[in-house]
Amino acid sequence: MKVEALEYGDRKVYAVGAFNRGVAGWIQRLPTVWVEGEVTELRRQLAWQSVFFTLKDPAEGACLGVSMPRGQFDALRLDLLDGERVHVYGRPELWEARGDFRLRALSIERFGLGEHLAALERLKRKLAAEGLFDPARKRPLPLLPRRIGLVTGNDAAAKQDVLTTIVARFPPARVVVAETYVQGPRAAGAIVAVLQELAGLPELDVVVLARGGGSFEDLLAFSEERLVRAVAECPVPVVSAVGHEQDTPLCDLAADARASTPTAAGRLVVPDVVELIARLDRARAGIARGVHRRVEHHGLRLSHAHGRLRRAPALLLERRRAGLEHAAARLRALSPQGTLDRGYAIVRSGDRVVREAGRLAPGETVDVRVASGSFGARVQETRP
Amino acid sequence: MSEELRFEEAQRELESIVERLERGEATLEESIGLWERGEDLYRLCLSRLDAAQGRIEELVRRADAAKPEK
Repeated sequence: MKVEALEYGDRKVYAVGAFNRGVAGWIQRLPTVWVEGEVTELRRQLAWQSVFFTLKDPAEGACLGVSMPRGQFDALRLDLLDGERVHVYGRPELWEARGDFRLRALSIERFGLGEHLAALERLKRKLAAEGLFDPARKRPLPLLPRRIGLVTGNDAAAKQDVLTTIVARFPPARVVVAETYVQGPRAAGAIVAVLQELAGLPELDVVVLARGGGSFEDLLAFSEERLVRAVAECPVPVVSAVGHEQDTPLCDLAADARASTPTAAGRLVVPDVVELIARLDRARAGIARGVHRRVEHHGLRLSHAHGRLRRAPALLLERRRAGLEHAAARLRALSPQGTLDRGYAIVRSGDRVVREAGRLAPGETVDVRVASGSFGARVQETRP
Repeated sequence: MSEELRFEEAQRELESIVERLERGEATLEESIGLWERGEDLYRLCLSRLDAAQGRIEELVRRADAAKPEK
């Protein structure tokens, strides 16, 4: 079809229909491709020739309109539901009447197990490269959470297991239960919304994400990128208890702690009150013992110092006495006492020792020293 | 003999007397005087030591009496 422009002087102007036809012509030359996304807003009416739905990129949120002739769509017998992941094989096209760009589907395939596994592995590598699963990002769980958020299915045994365990271990625990879809195409979005809502609650210190076991497909929501990111970005620590031990949905890797069962998750988020009290008692006993030991130690040091204080003067006296006795012994060794003891006496006149009787005159007084004491005497006669 | 003399002074004097006597430099008259002085100093020191010992014993007895029951 020819596309003609009107001329306004040297300006070329296209009518809308002509413009759309022109662009549509270009777009038609694009190759047929496979496009992956989630089905949303599926509209199928008997009066319509075509079935319409929007293909949504779950990671980026980008949307693409898809149309498929109703007969072809029905022949596929896919029974697609909103939120299901599909591969659409088609050709891009512009609907000229509306200027709407869309993908004209030639075939639609539901995302198979193989595709899911490959996509999961790709996402896992991408998020790991971003550091989302880094052990350094993991936060410690609070010892005594003021409030606990529990995200779970509405009638899940998992919910009951978590609650029973929490209440048995720590009766005063406060748990905010947020029931939501835990499988199916709407689950991931719903869980993300609930997580954000819980994180905004005052005093909420930890969130438990609990879901019992299920098939691989049942647990897929817990590996969706937006959910994994929401877990990693949650402002409070998240405990993931999804599936059984052998399942590792990606949210397990992004969570701050992983519990193999809902019961294990309950044990992780609250302490056992009995054990806690026992620990406190032990700590108190330890403090008392410690203080007692300190007092005893200081008491011993004090009594030791006191003993030395007591002995010090006596010791000093003993030393002085020993020194004195030593000096006295030396004094005695030189003294005439031994001679005096044998009966000799020393006679002194003034301060001179009398050695010659002729030096004395009768009537003169002398001083006589004997072994014990001395006396004064008067000379009666001298016999030189 | 001066009662004012401190123990340490008395002991020092006693020791210097002993040293002088041991050196044998003093005359006999001097040495007898020194010896008498030494004996007096010895008695003074001894009485000071005995008095100190008595005081210490008294203080210990009083401290023991004042000690609180354990």
